[in-house]
Amino acid sequence: MSVVLLLIVGTISAQSTGLEPGNKSPEIKLPNTKGDTVALSSLKGKLVLIDFWGTWCAPCVAEQAELARLYNKYKQSAFTNGKGFEIYGVSLDAKKSNWENFITTNKINWIQVSDLKFWRSPVAKTYNIQALPFNILMDGNGIILAKNLHGIDLEKGIIRFLRK
Amino acid sequence: MKTKLLIFLFISIASSVFASCQFSSQGQNDPWTQQQLLDPADLAKVLNDPKAPQPLVFSVGMQAIIKGSIDIGPAMKAENLNVLKGKLNKLPKNTQIVVYCGCCPFSRCPNIRPAMELLKNMQFTNYKLLNLPQNVKVDWIDKDYPMAQ
Repeated sequence: MSVVLLLIVGTISAQSTGLEPGNKSPEIKLPNTKGDTVALSSLKGKLVLIDFWGTWCAPCVAEQAELARLYNKYKQSAFTNGKGFEIYGVSLDAKKSNWENFITTNKINWIQVSDLKFWRSPVAKTYNIQALPFNILMDGNGIILAKNLHGIDLEKGIIRFLRK
Repeated sequence: MKTKLLIFLFISIASSVFASCQFSSQGQNDPWTQQQLLDPADLAKVLNDPKAPQPLVFSVGMQAIIKGSIDIGPAMKAENLNVLKGKLNKLPKNTQIVVYCGCCPFSRCPNIRPAMELLKNMQFTNYKLLNLPQNVKVDWIDKDYPMAQ
């Protein structure tokens, strides 16, 4: 039984190898839907959630409504190491029309970028993404605070860094 | 002590169930058998060997990223499934065929089931599903298997 448990823990923790809290988040420079490059580093000074997703990923799509709620609730908030909350959505879509239509239909008003390379996107390799959805919460200096927070844990993660 | 053991056993069993749901290669009602799952290493070997007979490899997902594969588009959409049907109609039933998607874990991939059902219903006799239980990045790209240009 313990062997089984070890194997399972190994499988689950595969997602957690690589980037760890306390490390600097690697730079991302990708185009938005208009083709303008948006650098992750341009968000310096804010609490940032990097959301890796795709319109083809059902759990990612399901999560967008919660992201919208959190974005609108905290975008003006002050944090211990950052003023304001931003979401930097990185889509692993392959077709621009799918990506663009989803953003328009769902009125997504935070930053969205993509190289439209699906799983071949170099950022998937840089961030050692094993499955979607995947996210990183980073502070105003680009330091990773937490990763892969979903559901109630995501808001708890944000609240933890609110300035009291 | 007894309680701790019970908790440990419960966690172990729950984790096993979770893990098998996440990355199982074949569920009870899936339209493929264990024998129809093709190991990515085996396909990679064939694709890297120009002298080996090459199967027809259909991508029924977002992008044809495997070397030589034919892009059908997501098979969950009726129009793409019709494209696949059109191509299959022109082939002998014993053609060596491989299909793959690789967007998501098998358990929630919306594309592989319609494609495999179509092959079954059309009575093909020599078709396989590429075994990408987690996704095409983890099970193909990260292993440096041959990619489309």
